[in-house]
Amino acid sequence: MQDRTSAPQEIALRVDGRKRRPDSARLRRLNILVGVLSLPLFVGLWELASRSGAVNMVLFPPPTVVAAAVLEWIRSGQFLGDLLASLFRVTTGFIVGGALGILLGILTGQFPVISSLLSPLFHILRPIPPIAFVPIVILWFGLSEAGKLFLVVWGVFFTVWLSTHIGVQKVDRGLIRAALMLGTPRRQMLQEIVLLGALPYIVVGLRTAVSISFYTLVAAELAGTFAGIVYRIEIAQQNMQTGQVMGGLAALGLISFIADRLFAALAERTVWWR
Amino acid sequence: MSGSRSIVKLALASSPTSVDSARKQPAIQVSNLSIVFESRRGQTIAVDRVSFDVAPGEFVCIVGPSGCGKSTVLNTIAGLEVPFEGDILVEGSPVHGPRPDVGMVFQQPHLFPWKSVRRNIAHGPRMHGKSKTDANAVADDLIAMIGLKRFADAYPNTLSGGMQQRVAIARALANQPRVLLMDEPFGALDAQTRAVMQDNLLELRDRINTTIVFVTHDIDEAIVLADRVLIMSAGPGRILREVAVKLPRPRSSSIMVEPPYLSLKKDCLDVIRAEGLRAFNQSDAS
Repeated sequence: MQDRTSAPQEIALRVDGRKRRPDSARLRRLNILVGVLSLPLFVGLWELASRSGAVNMVLFPPPTVVAAAVLEWIRSGQFLGDLLASLFRVTTGFIVGGALGILLGILTGQFPVISSLLSPLFHILRPIPPIAFVPIVILWFGLSEAGKLFLVVWGVFFTVWLSTHIGVQKVDRGLIRAALMLGTPRRQMLQEIVLLGALPYIVVGLRTAVSISFYTLVAAELAGTFAGIVYRIEIAQQNMQTGQVMGGLAALGLISFIADRLFAALAERTVWWR
Repeated sequence: MSGSRSIVKLALASSPTSVDSARKQPAIQVSNLSIVFESRRGQTIAVDRVSFDVAPGEFVCIVGPSGCGKSTVLNTIAGLEVPFEGDILVEGSPVHGPRPDVGMVFQQPHLFPWKSVRRNIAHGPRMHGKSKTDANAVADDLIAMIGLKRFADAYPNTLSGGMQQRVAIARALANQPRVLLMDEPFGALDAQTRAVMQDNLLELRDRINTTIVFVTHDIDEAIVLADRVLIMSAGPGRILREVAVKLPRPRSSSIMVEPPYLSLKKDCLDVIRAEGLRAFNQSDAS
């Protein structure tokens, strides 16, 4: 009986759906169009707002002024130096912190004794924001590159360590039993099963660490240095070159975005069986 | 897995033994096997003085309700479940851990997701020191046998559940085990796939002639496949009865409608029903 009562409604719905189909296609096209126009629209609004006289143009320069500042930055040759300095800090810190994180994550994930020894310490240190270490890093390392690297390594390490540790512990016990039954020696179990089983977690940890390495880069360069994107932003701020400040922010955002996308593409190939 | 395990010595030692004490050395000898799980709540006797023999080339099914310890018995023979009380001999030598002459197929295929079908099957031979070429040759033979030639380079996540389980069986056979243990291997499959897999296994077994111990909770599956069915009871796990299945081979699942099959099934169901009633009354009384 229930069927009979619900039947007319169902038909009504179906008719409704058929009527809507062309609508939804149009809606999708509209969405794409709006998406394409989104950035130009906001840049245009920004330009108008800055030039309308309602705001102080020195503090809130229009995009054309920002673009000019960026062009000048590139032409002077400073941009390349700043870019290389920042990239060096981020990549070196990421590689060192990531390698240490993976190594120790495997050790603490696989061997309970090592986990009992190190995990409590790591769990206490991990929640302290890396930025909070700036003062002590200046005391220890002064304005040297070692201090900058320390901050980035610190930030990257804990994220990668934790995800590796969890990944190793979450490796399917069934896979390990199957491998044992097939005669996999304990020694080969790590490389054949545990490492690959944990790989998806490790990759997620590394990807999170990419953005973290940029956060810590900001702290590291604000702590005092002689070149770098964030350093340039700070200098421009002291000289009231607001256009240059905004250009620096845009450059930082763009580099961080490219790094994330590159890593995502790489990650997809690393976990090849998905 | 919760809590730690320990063994309790049990004084009583009488137990039913195999009807068919073979003249040859049995492939598997289980005598007075007891397994006790210890948790914070106390001790649970999972398996209570279970004894049985399996002759070389024999196909034995263990049936019983969930939680009767049938999988635990199987895992113990595999060398995955320690500690235990009693003796287990495979091909005359005691079981201390996983060994190359014992293969295992689990309820879930547990294929290595990062390895292709071929490399999954070649894993065992590789671990036993075979060269890549030799291991792949073994794998390719088995792939042909399970009818998955087209999928040799496919990754497990692209295969159906039934195909995955066929690969898991081939992977276990790649080490040429004397004994193949199967723990509800078709339990997670739908009824249709399951019937096909049973026929496949019957066919495969006629070719490889390995000793098989197969655990299931499905009485039909047990009778179709086995030479002998061991019926277990739960709490604690014991062997209630063994039923010899003297149905002609080669078999297929179509024997399930024939009178000799049905009378065997009735025998088994009577045992199970009586035990179920006993267990029910017992739990009612307490």
